[in-house]
Amino acid sequence: MRDVDKFKRNMRISLGIFVTLFSVLIIYLGYSVVVYGNQWYATPYNPRIQQAYKNISGGTVYDAKGIRLAWSDGTTRRYHEEVDKRRALSHIMGDPAGIAAKGVETRFAKYLYGMDKDLVERIEDLLAGKESQGNDITLTVDAELSEYIYDNMDAKTGCIVVLNYKTGEILANVSIPTFDPTTLGKEEPVDTSLVDRATMGRYPPGSVMKIITASAAMEEGIDLSYECTGECIIEGQKVTCSGGAHGALTLESAFIKSCNTYFANLSVKIGGSRLKKQAEKFGFNQQFKFAGDEIELYPSNFEVTGNEGDVAWAGVGQYNDLVTPLHAAMIAGSIANDGVMMEPKLLRDVARGGYAGFSFTPAQYKRVLSAEMAGRLKEYMREVVQSGTGTSAGVSGVPICGKTGTAEFMEDGQVKNHSWFVGFIDDNSKPYAVAVIFEGAGFGSRYAAPMAGKIFGYLANH
Amino acid sequence: MTIKRRSTAALLFLQVLFILSAFGLLTFKGGVLDWQAAASGLILCLFNLFQYNILKSCFKHLDRFCLIVAQFLWSLGLAVIYRISPALAIKQFLILMASTLVMVCVMLIIRKSVDFGRLNWLFMVLTFLLLASTLVLGRSIGGAKNWIKLGFFTLQPSEFAKILYIMVSAYFLTTREKLVSFIPYLIYTAACVMLLVVEKDLGAGLLIALTFLVMFFAATGRTLLTLLGVGVLGGGAYASYKLFSHVQTRVQVWQDPWATYNGQGYQIVQGLLALASGGLFGVGLGRGMPEVIPVRESDYIFTVIGEEFGIIFGIITILFYLVFIVRGILIALNARSTYDALLVFGCTAMLTLQSFIIIGGVIKLIPLTGVTLPYISYGGSSILSSMIQLGIIQGVAIKNGQKDEEQLAEMGGEIA
Repeated sequence: MRDVDKFKRNMRISLGIFVTLFSVLIIYLGYSVVVYGNQWYATPYNPRIQQAYKNISGGTVYDAKGIRLAWSDGTTRRYHEEVDKRRALSHIMGDPAGIAAKGVETRFAKYLYGMDKDLVERIEDLLAGKESQGNDITLTVDAELSEYIYDNMDAKTGCIVVLNYKTGEILANVSIPTFDPTTLGKEEPVDTSLVDRATMGRYPPGSVMKIITASAAMEEGIDLSYECTGECIIEGQKVTCSGGAHGALTLESAFIKSCNTYFANLSVKIGGSRLKKQAEKFGFNQQFKFAGDEIELYPSNFEVTGNEGDVAWAGVGQYNDLVTPLHAAMIAGSIANDGVMMEPKLLRDVARGGYAGFSFTPAQYKRVLSAEMAGRLKEYMREVVQSGTGTSAGVSGVPICGKTGTAEFMEDGQVKNHSWFVGFIDDNSKPYAVAVIFEGAGFGSRYAAPMAGKIFGYLANH
Repeated sequence: MTIKRRSTAALLFLQVLFILSAFGLLTFKGGVLDWQAAASGLILCLFNLFQYNILKSCFKHLDRFCLIVAQFLWSLGLAVIYRISPALAIKQFLILMASTLVMVCVMLIIRKSVDFGRLNWLFMVLTFLLLASTLVLGRSIGGAKNWIKLGFFTLQPSEFAKILYIMVSAYFLTTREKLVSFIPYLIYTAACVMLLVVEKDLGAGLLIALTFLVMFFAATGRTLLTLLGVGVLGGGAYASYKLFSHVQTRVQVWQDPWATYNGQGYQIVQGLLALASGGLFGVGLGRGMPEVIPVRESDYIFTVIGEEFGIIFGIITILFYLVFIVRGILIALNARSTYDALLVFGCTAMLTLQSFIIIGGVIKLIPLTGVTLPYISYGGSSILSSMIQLGIIQGVAIKNGQKDEEQLAEMGGEIA
């Protein structure tokens, strides 16, 4: 070897490479455990959780008003005595074995089975003889409201989500068909009853999408003046209004009457890529990732092509648009909350938090609109309930805003309609947003809106 | 002028505290007092302190930080292995004691500056014999055919082939200048790697290949050729991905272990679950569930550390390796002969890459290839091999110190 200085320099460079490699190791290790740790941990096939079920008496789960939803009798898991409450809450609760959709029982097993206790707490528990006792948790859910919704849905297939749009707290998530956790694994479940429609059911949004299309038009300063004749043809695709001709329209009146031909032409004018950008601002095409991994929400879909007919249909909530009921409620909530979309939350409190130190903190998911735009859209939605397609969601004396939707889909060669309503109470003391969908039921104004009205009435009086 | 060394009392005190508290917890773990754990902890403390003090008094210029870091790492390893299986830990401890003697022999030989040039061809043949022995005598453990059984012992020859490889590399890289004269060395390297890949010992193969690249780059300074080497390695990796189904499985499992959590992804998923269960501060020694993690005592030991001691402690462990690496490179930089420098550099590089490959593998940063975690993992061959490498590093450090002292004496100074 001739050049010793160069050799030494190269060894220093190698040291630099080694230090870099180890830094990557440290950063990746920290990042992956901090960001994905909870999600990994909560998988039902974590043997630690299965083991805990055998040895540890799980904590009690309370609803927001202190009703006991689930508890342990020794190591046997028990659920609320009333079957309607159990069935109304089953998708939120899940089950310890993870047979049904992931729910509170597996997602918060860390707390319920005391795996988050720190050393001091373990020693305290050891001395108190409570070593095999988990922690109690309180949810944001309202069991009475959930039961009311369940009873009023009358076993019709669909899903209803109620959330607090200021904090993101989920008050109710009722998904039908449902199951009873006490018979789970013993009886053959009803088809699709194990699916949590609120987070996993992806439906065409229909006219609910017009909230987003209208917001794009407002931001671009577009207000078409258009005469609706009941149908129009855009690049070979026919768009129709089921209610016949709406006549001369502005953006506001078209929104209130939910005119398809108006919004089809408006969408083309806004342009496919701009419309897609707007949908993505509202959370479409995104892998949702919420703090603490309290909720796993399937992504909503919005796509456009170069064909203007596809753009037109996408703008009125058809084509390949898909949205989950929870996301739909979040969209309505963001309009109510001056343009800020909150992250959905399920956990209110852990009786004794351990080192994970849980404390409820509302988290902003993102700002989707300026407060001014949200305010204008809110007035449109108020008019929908006062004089438009959503009058049956109205409750006298309660300031309600909303939007109906009727989403076409094909089943067994037949065109059917999902019945949608999203809306909210525009009142700071009752900051609730609601999304209702009945699968294949028919028009939004006829099925979903009256159901929403009942829920608003209940919320206003409780 | 007198140069005084910094005191290591605080580090030793921390180490003793760590060992006593870890084995103290193990003593109280099962409900009944485990006196064997208490005794093991005490003996380990005494062993480390005696080892340190005797070595320090025999070899004035011993690199004390390297030794203390290695002591900390094997103490951690022994505590975790004891937690998994006391019998394994005791076996490992006995091997560690024997390895210390081997390490001292290596230090003495290295200090003497024996000329290994004449033995170079012998070393090369020996490397092949070691690697080929498993093809003939080998028995398969964990899908790889890299063990041979000798009476009561099972031996992993690739662990010793690694050290021969470093010695052969150091010889070639210091004595040859022209590119043509490197050809036997390149063929030797390629043959070693290919033998290991055929034996399905992908981890060791990757380790040799990467060590080659780093040593070749440092010694020759030929950046373009090194990059070409990286390209060849990448090409080889791609070819083996296309050719061997077991390589494809590794990559698929790395990309999405959850898809086959009950099958091929099981090991990675269990490792990740363990890390996630530990969180930042760990569940506490003895409170985790390592029994569900395959090869928990050797390749996967880092996940057990993560679960029971927590991620922060895991990061501290990685930082300990980093201290070791920096010390190693400083010793290499201070070496008087390029041969010594390359020996130390090679050992340091190999320990670094080995730790990176296995920690990176279990945390799913890179596809998993099985190698042991130096000083921590259970494994006689592994610990002996790591101790020999430590012996090489210490031998050169002592030689450096003696030269430093001579130079200083000429100027009228001394090292206290």
